[in-house]
Parts: sequence; C-alpha cells; structure tokens
Amino acid sequence: MASQPSQSEYVTLVSGDGFEYVIPRSTACVSGTIRRMLEPSSQFSEAITGRCVLENISGVVLEKVCEYFCFNEKNKKQMNVPDMDIPPELCLELLMAADYLDT
Amino acid sequence: MAMRARQKIRAPRRGVNTNKAHDFDTYWDALSSSLKKIHTKDASHLSFEQLYRNAYNIVLMTRGDDLYERVKRLEQEWLETEVRNRVNSAISSVLLQTKDLSEMQDQANERRETGEKFLDVLREVWEDHQVCMGMITDVLMYMDRVILSDHKKPSIYVASMALFRDFVLRAVARSDSELKVIDVLESTILFMIQLERSGQIINRQLIRHCIYMLEGLYETITEEESSKLYLAVFEPAFLDTSRAFYRAEGQRLLETGDAATFCKAASDRIAEEAERCLSTLSPLSEPKIKEVLDTELISKNIADVINLEGTGVKYMLDNDRLDVLRNVYVLSARVDTKKTPLTAAVQKRIVEMGQDINKAAIALAQAAPAKPEKPAGGEKKPAAKEKPVNQQTESAIKWVDDVLNLKNKFDKIWEQSFQSDPNMQSAITTSFSQFINSNARSSEYLSLFFDENLKKGIKGKTESEVDALLDNGITLLRYVRDKDLFEAYYKKHLSRRLLMKRSVSNDTERQMISKMKMEVGNQFTQRLEAMFRDMTISEDLTAGYKEHIQKSTSPDEKHPDLEINVLTSTMWPMETMSSLKGDSAQLSCTFPKEIEHVKQSFEQFYLSKHTGRKLSWQPSMGTADIRATFHRSTGKVSRHELNVSTYAMIILLLFNDVAPGESLTYEEIQAQTRIPDHDLIRNLQSLAVAPKTRVLKKDPMSKDVKPTDRFFFNNDFQSAYMKVRIGVVSGSSNKVENQDQRKQTEKRMNDERGASIEAAIVRIMKQRKTLIHSNLMSEVLSQLSSRFVPDVNMIKRRIESLIDREYLERVEEDPPTYGYVA
Repeated sequence: MASQPSQSEYVTLVSGDGFEYVIPRSTACVSGTIRRMLEPSSQFSEAITGRCVLENISGVVLEKVCEYFCFNEKNKKQMNVPDMDIPPELCLELLMAADYLDT
Repeated sequence: MAMRARQKIRAPRRGVNTNKAHDFDTYWDALSSSLKKIHTKDASHLSFEQLYRNAYNIVLMTRGDDLYERVKRLEQEWLETEVRNRVNSAISSVLLQTKDLSEMQDQANERRETGEKFLDVLREVWEDHQVCMGMITDVLMYMDRVILSDHKKPSIYVASMALFRDFVLRAVARSDSELKVIDVLESTILFMIQLERSGQIINRQLIRHCIYMLEGLYETITEEESSKLYLAVFEPAFLDTSRAFYRAEGQRLLETGDAATFCKAASDRIAEEAERCLSTLSPLSEPKIKEVLDTELISKNIADVINLEGTGVKYMLDNDRLDVLRNVYVLSARVDTKKTPLTAAVQKRIVEMGQDINKAAIALAQAAPAKPEKPAGGEKKPAAKEKPVNQQTESAIKWVDDVLNLKNKFDKIWEQSFQSDPNMQSAITTSFSQFINSNARSSEYLSLFFDENLKKGIKGKTESEVDALLDNGITLLRYVRDKDLFEAYYKKHLSRRLLMKRSVSNDTERQMISKMKMEVGNQFTQRLEAMFRDMTISEDLTAGYKEHIQKSTSPDEKHPDLEINVLTSTMWPMETMSSLKGDSAQLSCTFPKEIEHVKQSFEQFYLSKHTGRKLSWQPSMGTADIRATFHRSTGKVSRHELNVSTYAMIILLLFNDVAPGESLTYEEIQAQTRIPDHDLIRNLQSLAVAPKTRVLKKDPMSKDVKPTDRFFFNNDFQSAYMKVRIGVVSGSSNKVENQDQRKQTEKRMNDERGASIEAAIVRIMKQRKTLIHSNLMSEVLSQLSSRFVPDVNMIKRRIESLIDREYLERVEEDPPTYGYVA
C-alpha cells in the first residue's frame, strides 16, 4: 500500500474530445476528484497509469481548468491576487467542471 | 469561490444530455459490479473516472438517495456473508469458553494460538473494510457531497462503519453460542494482556491493530469521542479485570512481606502499564489504568507496606536504603499529596532514634561517677588529654554530634529519596524539634557543644569546615524551643571563654554571633554583643591604666601588671560567674596589700574617668601569674612561673610571710583571706591535692579538705616546665550543670521569663488599651514564641500580678477583658 515506486511528477489529463494536458501532479491535486483518482493506495487504473480521462469535459474547458490549476499553485501563498481572466461564454461550463472536479 | 456560486446557478444539462441516455439501473449495475470488484481487491483495471461519472450522473438524476441506500444494502450483504464467514471460521470453541481467565491455565497455549489467529483475521477483515470503504467513498464523493449537504444522513463511510459494527462485531459468534464477536474479541485481548502481565511475550502489534479498530468504531453515527467502542465497551472491561488483578497482586505482594520487593514490583507495574497503554492499547487509557493501580495496588497497601515489620520504612531508614525509600516516596506521592503514612512512619522513626540519643546521653552522663555537690569527683585525667573533660560534658557533646548525624542522615534521605519535598521537610523538622525539646537539657548541651568547639574543636580546621560546623549547630538551635534558656547557657559559657581567654579565635566567636543573629534575631544577640564590646573597652582600659601607672610612678617601683576586664553587670551573667549565693558578695575577700594597692589605684583611675560608677571585683574569675622560688632541700633554688587563679594567688601570697616549715590551717587561711568556703576548698585542692601542681603540702594527705587541715609550702615542687599552669579544680571549664545548679538556672530562667511575659503584656496593652483575655494570650504567645514557649498558667499569673499592681484593670467579665491603666 506504500506509495507507488514510480509516482511520476507529472500527470496527464485527457479531455472528452481527446486533448491531453500534462501538468504537475501537485497542481492537479487542487481538484478533490483528481486527487482521489490518483490516490496511490486505491489502485484504480488512473493511479497506476497517471493518466486521467475526463469524459465529460471538453478540451477548451479542460485547458482553462489546467490554467486555473497552475494559477492557483502559483498564487497560493499570496494575498491580493488579481482575478483570473475567464471568457463569459465558458462561464457555465467551467462552473460545471468545477463542481464535477470538486475544485 | 466558484463552488459557492455554483449552488445557485444550475448548470445546463448539456453535458449529460449529449451523452447516451442512460437510466438509473444501467448506471447502478455498472457501479455495483465495480464496487464488488473493489471488495475483492480487483480494482486495478477499474477507472475511477468512470465510476465517479456514474455516481455523478445518478446524483444529477436526483436519485442520490436511492444510490446511497443501494450501496448500504450492498455493503450489508457483503459483510453479512463474506466477511462474517471469514470471521466466524476463525473463532474456535476454546475462545468461546468461560471468560474466567484464571481457569484457563491448561488451555492457555491453545487459546493463545487460536486467539492470535482470530485477532489476525479480524484485523485483516477490518483493514480490508477500511481500505475498500475508503475507495468507495472516494468514488461516491459526489453523492456524499450532495447527501451530506442536508445533514440527514451520515456519510457513506460512517454508515458503512456502523454496518461493520452491527453485522460483523455484533453478530453472534457461533450459532450455538450467545456470545457476540465483540465479546470474544474483548475476552481474547484481555486474555493476552493477562498473559503479558504474567511475563509472557505476546503479539502487541496485533492487539494494537484490533484496538485501532475499536477506536475507529463508534456507538453512534455522530461519532462523538466518548462513544468510541474502545471507550464504551472495551476500556471498562479492561479496567475491571485490571482492578481485580491488581487487588490480588497487592495481596500477594504484601504476603511476601518485603517492602522493597513490593515497591519495586509496584513501580515496575506502573511503568509496564504505561508502556502497555502506549504500545498495545490506547494512550487514552493510561491515566485510567494508573488510577486503578493507584487505588488498588498502592492506596490500599501502602500503609501496610510502610509499616511492614522488618522490611518497612523503619528498616529502610535504618539501613540507608535510599533507592527503596525513593520508591516508597514516589508511590506514596502518587496517591496522596500529603503522604500521611510515610510521613508518620518517618516521624515516628526520627522520634524513636532521637529518644535513643537522649537516653544514651543520659545513660552516659549517669555512668559518670558524679557526686551530687562536686562534679569534680567525676573528673578524670587521662594522659592523652591535657584538660580533663567531664564525662557529662562529653555526653553532651556526643548528644549534639549524634543529633547532627541523625540530622545529616535525614537530610540526605530527604534530598535523595524524598525529592526535597517541602511537606516531608516540615514533618522531619517537627519530629526533630519534638525529640530535641523532649530532652530538657538540649539547650545546655547545644551551648556546650559550641563551647567545646570554640575552645578547641576548631583548631586546625579550615574556615569552611568551621563554618559548616557552626551552621550545623545553628540548625539544631532552630529546633530548640526555649531559646532564652540557650541564651542563658551560651552567655555563661561565652563569659568563661572570654574571661579565661579560652576562645581559639575571636573571629569565629563573632561569626557565631552573627549566625545566631540571622537565625534568631537581633534581640537575642544584643547582650552577647555587649559582652564583646566590654572586652574591647577593657583592653583599651588596661592599656590606658598601664600608661597612667608608668607616668604616675617612678620606673623603679615594682608594680604588678594589671589586666582588667570591666564588665557591664546587666549584660553579663553575674549570678553564674560569682559562684556565691545571694548576699555573700558583700563579703569580698581581703587582698594582700600589694594587690590591694593596685586595686585601689585602678579604682581611682577608673572612677576619675567614669564618675558615678561602682566597681565590684570578681576575684573568682581572675587569674594571676606569679613567680615562685623554691628552695630545694638539696640547697638548690629553682624558679617557676605559676599561672593560678586570683584566689590561689592570694593564698600563695600568704605563704610569703610564713617561715619555712611553718604551716597554716585551713581556718587560718580563711580568716586571713575571707575567701568563700566553696572557692577556698577548690583552690586548695588544686594547689595541694592535684598531683602535678602540688605547690602546697597538706596534712593529712587526703583528697578532701577539712577545716582542720594544715598546709605547708612545698619546696620540693617539681615540674618539667618553667611555666606551670595550675587550673582550679572544676568551675573553670564549662560543663554540664549538676542538679542544684540546674534548679538555680531554672529558677532564674523562670524569673526572667516572668519579666519577659510582663513586658510583653504591658507592651501589648499599651498599644491596644483594652483587649479580650484570649486575644491577649495569643498575642503574648506569638510575641514570645521566638524565644521560648511560655507556660499559659504563668501568663495568667502575670496578668493577675499586673492587675494587683494596677497596671491593668478588669473592664468586663464576660468575655473577660482587660484595660490598660496609664
């Protein structure tokens, strides 16, 4: 049950329409869902391969999500961070993705 | 931030609707088969995302509650069938047998083996359940989030834990038994602990895991700390068995009758239980099991242990078993901050040992062949000692030494075994003062101890040693209740030291005084300091007189040198110095004319300086150096310088006028000198009886001096030294008083106390004007307690006498109140 010997530093997020994003594991784990998905003790296939296929999130949205992950990671310890720029047309879909990913 | 907003704006169903239109059952079928796979540890090819999305979809269809119930049912089925079978198969009949652990001796091994197997299975099952439920909870996270938001149900994890509790632990262990699995678990663990207590090695890790399980399960779904199964079910049982065990253990250890073993075992048990709680059970139980130990093992037995015949505290104290004493102390301290039994035992022992010392001192003192009137008879002159030490004095010093040794011993014990506990210290102090004060002579003995040390004890010692010695003495002084009595004795002894120049070092004397000042207070040492002052003034006076003589008389004229000590009579213990009684002081002795001349010339000199003073001479305290010429019968002439007391000098000077071969009778001597009988006898004894200093010959040759005895000058006096010191028999060295002297001292003491009490009463009343009787009493007592403990009756008598003399008046009868008459 100990942590995977080959726990890679980066993980791959795959959108429903096939786009792949490789981001640091720590940033991806901002999402509760992805964190649990990658939980090494659970032995799900995602945890073993380090590749998460997120069927119901489109590439555009996932890109924005990944951007947020990195934005979050970067500004974690700072105060008065400027808001992230979010295009209004993606707004609702991003909200849904956030709900799904428990972010 | 985004999450909070999301709750309000419902997202369009686009994402779901674009997917294939699944219904609830399809999603559930997929989910349930996956969940089963998780249970069978077959999850590696399952995609978390897929499962998560299934659950997500079901929840979006607002069927979350259904999903929750179904999962619960699925879990229940799994636990009831698979898990329970596994557990039940591990329960052997041995484990189901009687819970009485003591009867299991013959089956211990079997029980132990199967027990371990059972625990192992249970642990495995539990850990599997935990891991699987962790995974399932993760997968159903979305469901949990929605369900928990209305707070009606516990999370699926908590629910599944409750299921485990109900359908595994609370299941009947065997179809033919009433016992439940948890009962078996409990008895098995307790059995293991008992095994360990009896010295066997058990698999602690295994038990620890089972305890983890009990700690992870709760009675209620709200999971309060107190409803942990461990606390609710196991711990009480554990504490009960422990209580029974240690009750028996206490009895058993007590029966072995060895206090040291008991304490060792008890300390070991405490450490052992503490360690067990850390390594095997839960740290939560540590304070509780310690309490059990404290009450069952220690509280109930400690008093018996302390008083165990032969091995108890008495034995430990006698044999300096510091380590064991420390154990006893630590154990006692656990159960009782006052440590009553231990304190009592220590106190009892101190008083016993102290009484022994007292008795020994008295026995030693009585062993001396003391004659009632003249302790001189008890004098011995061992060759080794130049000065005879009275046996009683020796016993006094031995007493002090013994007490000091005892004190050191207990100080050491207190420091090393009792962790410098202040309670113990005060207990020890009380006991010491109890037995010290039970010896009526303690003040005198202590003063003698100082006297002895200041006279010769400190010779050749370093400053720090002297310091320690004095400090020791002071420590004892602290215990002495009647400090005024001590002061009286000390004054008497000090005066002797000063006048006879017996003190080794003036610095040490002053050091001593300052130490006493610190310990007892300023008032106490005032008079002692005044004595020192008198000595210094007298030195100046002597020098001044010498100068005066040199100026006023021609250098040719022969003059005896005079060294004078002028003493303030109120500061010095005159009564004790003049060994005369009462009015006989008027009958001052007749000095020979040479001396009388010197005396008068000094009186003139002194009174010219200080008018209005009266000098009274104390020949009994003085010494003189005289040069004596002995005409040997062989015709030779030898000279010796004799150092004698003033009286002896007067006697010897008489013989200047006596023709060789002539004699003086005792009566003649007395008539010519008017030396009081008592002193005359002693001086004649030292001149004519003491073998080394026989300057006079006595006829008949006997020890006692009778009025009809005749005395001759002894021209055949022999001595190896040029200077001969002729000590006066008795009286010159400080020693224990005999009965009469003691009575006198006591009487004086009582008078002095009466005066102190009156002074205190007047002081208080002057300030208060009116005061109730009881308040007056307590104030007087508190004012005087630093010096002595006044007798209540004495105070009453003093009050009466003050009323008679119209210093006070009765103001009221009920309650009795006094007023101050100005």
